[in-house]
Amino acid sequence: MWALDPFSQPRSGRLFANTPLPLLATLATGAAVTWALVDRGVLPAWALRVAGVTAGHGALLATALAWARVPAASGVMVVVVLFLAAWAAVHGVVGPVTYLAPVLSVVWLMWRGRLTDLGLGTRVSLRALLTGAAIGALLGAHLLVSASRTFGLHVRLDHPAEMLGAIGYDVGANVLAAECFFRGALFNRALGRWSFASATIGSTLAYVVRYLVDPLLPKSAGLVVGAVFYLALLGALNCWLFRWSESLLPGLLAAAVFFAAYRSLATG
Amino acid sequence: MILIAGLLAVVTALIALDGAGAGSLFRHAYFLPVVAAALRFGAPGGTLAAGAAVLLDAPFVLPAIERSGLTAASLDGLVTFVMLALVGTLSGALRARAVRHRRRYELLATLQRTLADEVTLDVALARLRSALAGRLGVDALVLVARDETGLVIAGGERVAPGSLVARVLETGASEFVRISRNGAGGRGILSRRAFAAPLVAGGQTIGVLAIERKGEIPAEERAALEALGAQIGLALENARLASRQRHFAAELADRVSAARRELEELDRAKSAFVAIASHELRTPLTALQGFSELLATRQLPSNEVNRLGGIMRREARRLGRIVSDLLDLSRIERGLEPALCRIPLAVEPAVVTTVDLFRQGATTHPIAVTCEPALPKIDADPDALERVLTNLISNAVKYSPAGSVIRVGARPRADGVAIDVADSGRGIPAEALGRIFEPYYRVPDAAGAARGTGIGLAVVKALVEAHGGAVEVESAPMLGTRVTVLLPAAQGPVP
Repeated sequence: MWALDPFSQPRSGRLFANTPLPLLATLATGAAVTWALVDRGVLPAWALRVAGVTAGHGALLATALAWARVPAASGVMVVVVLFLAAWAAVHGVVGPVTYLAPVLSVVWLMWRGRLTDLGLGTRVSLRALLTGAAIGALLGAHLLVSASRTFGLHVRLDHPAEMLGAIGYDVGANVLAAECFFRGALFNRALGRWSFASATIGSTLAYVVRYLVDPLLPKSAGLVVGAVFYLALLGALNCWLFRWSESLLPGLLAAAVFFAAYRSLATG
Repeated sequence: MILIAGLLAVVTALIALDGAGAGSLFRHAYFLPVVAAALRFGAPGGTLAAGAAVLLDAPFVLPAIERSGLTAASLDGLVTFVMLALVGTLSGALRARAVRHRRRYELLATLQRTLADEVTLDVALARLRSALAGRLGVDALVLVARDETGLVIAGGERVAPGSLVARVLETGASEFVRISRNGAGGRGILSRRAFAAPLVAGGQTIGVLAIERKGEIPAEERAALEALGAQIGLALENARLASRQRHFAAELADRVSAARRELEELDRAKSAFVAIASHELRTPLTALQGFSELLATRQLPSNEVNRLGGIMRREARRLGRIVSDLLDLSRIERGLEPALCRIPLAVEPAVVTTVDLFRQGATTHPIAVTCEPALPKIDADPDALERVLTNLISNAVKYSPAGSVIRVGARPRADGVAIDVADSGRGIPAEALGRIFEPYYRVPDAAGAARGTGIGLAVVKALVEAHGGAVEVESAPMLGTRVTVLLPAAQGPVP
């Protein structure tokens, strides 16, 4: 039993300790400058998308890695990989496969045992993975039914390349960055300070806010309510999955499946 | 579970059939399965059922918002979502709280039952641990308690210095730690909690109750565990005191019983002593009385007068010896040492003089004296030494067959002189060797073999020890006995 073994002080410090502020400032500045240049017609419109993906998801991913005590160079590497993936995706170099690059870089770090603080590289049961997939499928299915009743939208799979591109973006940037940061980093830190309920509320609120401020989210009341509803449920369930399975993978799977369902709708 | 799922499905079907969408009054019926789940499965069940109800009701509420915006009906639907979540979670939490209270009382009863039997501390802790582990719903539980020899641990091998348990034992304050699968400082997800509460009795920390769980240990539960620690401490202390009291009572009963037996034996020995002493005293008195009457009433030739006078002197000496022994014994029994008048004394002349007295009186046993040369003088009372030697030689004569040689010797030792008196008599049984110096004690089969009061060796031992010496006995049945008296040498220049 651990209580009988030599006691080492639990991890402590401020909630936002080890945040890579110089890197975040660089990313923010880069995005702002790109926006200004695009606005003035100096840069093409796609540059803003590349900068947005890099700054938004790169900031979350780099912060998660820094909080997990991964060397800063690895964080910068992941941001660079994300930038290249976004650039390649925009130019359609190798399609949605480009977003596998950030995934592979995270897997490489995981393989080296650097991401245990994020819940990656630890043992995970098949049951937990199936539960994650089931939660994602349930929420996704509910979304499809609800969207069908609400907006009259239906699943359309006649644009597979576009849909796969969106799914690739979700897997390699959107879901990966969000889960690593909001569950693996933020929720885990909160869990070390507060109760599960408090940590879940805090983490889920931040998760929902992140999507609400996303410029790509349509601002109609129905969509905002729907987004809050599903993202809050997904966030809370992923927090539970994270603590229950002691791994980030089931949550990643749940979110990936849910967003895949969303993309089948959104791209229709 | 099936009933709850069925109720959720029925309510959803009713809302769908009602056709009122977000404003359907049937949505309030979701509270029924939600409350049922909360009462059956606690907060997780209530929350899950509420989530399921929200998911099922959402396809009726969200389209209304999309169609008409946030109208009163759609807002009402959203409020219902919140209410369902609140009712499910709170009623589940209340139910869990009630269950916790019930379990706490059950725990107390278990505690009393477990410690009711008289068992050793390690057994009590092991029983307590197995009783608590299931009821507290923990992944690991350890109970540590201090006893006279150290720490008794149930649920582990040892308490490492600096561990959580060691810290609580040292400080007496409970500790709560958020840990990962790899411990507090280890990497990984901080999904586990450890809590250690002191076991308190009489204001002292007598042990620790430590638990680990994947999941929360809420503040309320921690407070309950602290109270439980105090109750366990009190129960252990009560059990310990009760056990000690029982042991004390049993020990007291044993001691009383032993003392009674001893007193009875002493009483019997004293009765026997009185009879024997009366006889021992009467014999010389009879001789003195008889011979003195002869001398007083008859005209006897001078050689006959000398012979009778010699007999009377021996009997008077014997009488005096018995009286001296009795006086010494009386002092010993009062916890006093025999009165001595110690002087530097040459051993060989003292030994030879005593042996000569025996040679004159008892001719049945030859007595061989062997004193090594250059014996140091001893610091002794001459009369006491004579009585010691007289007692020992007298015993040797009494308990060895006529004609066998009694050997008396003296030899120097590093710190004094050793005087041996050895016979070839019946010997002393091994089981009696430890008791021969007790007053009134006589070796059972010796009582019929020779006369004696049973106080001689007790007096010998008291006299020798009063000199700062010691008495050693070696005996082999049917081969003989050797008694060695060790007396310290006289200190300083000896004249």
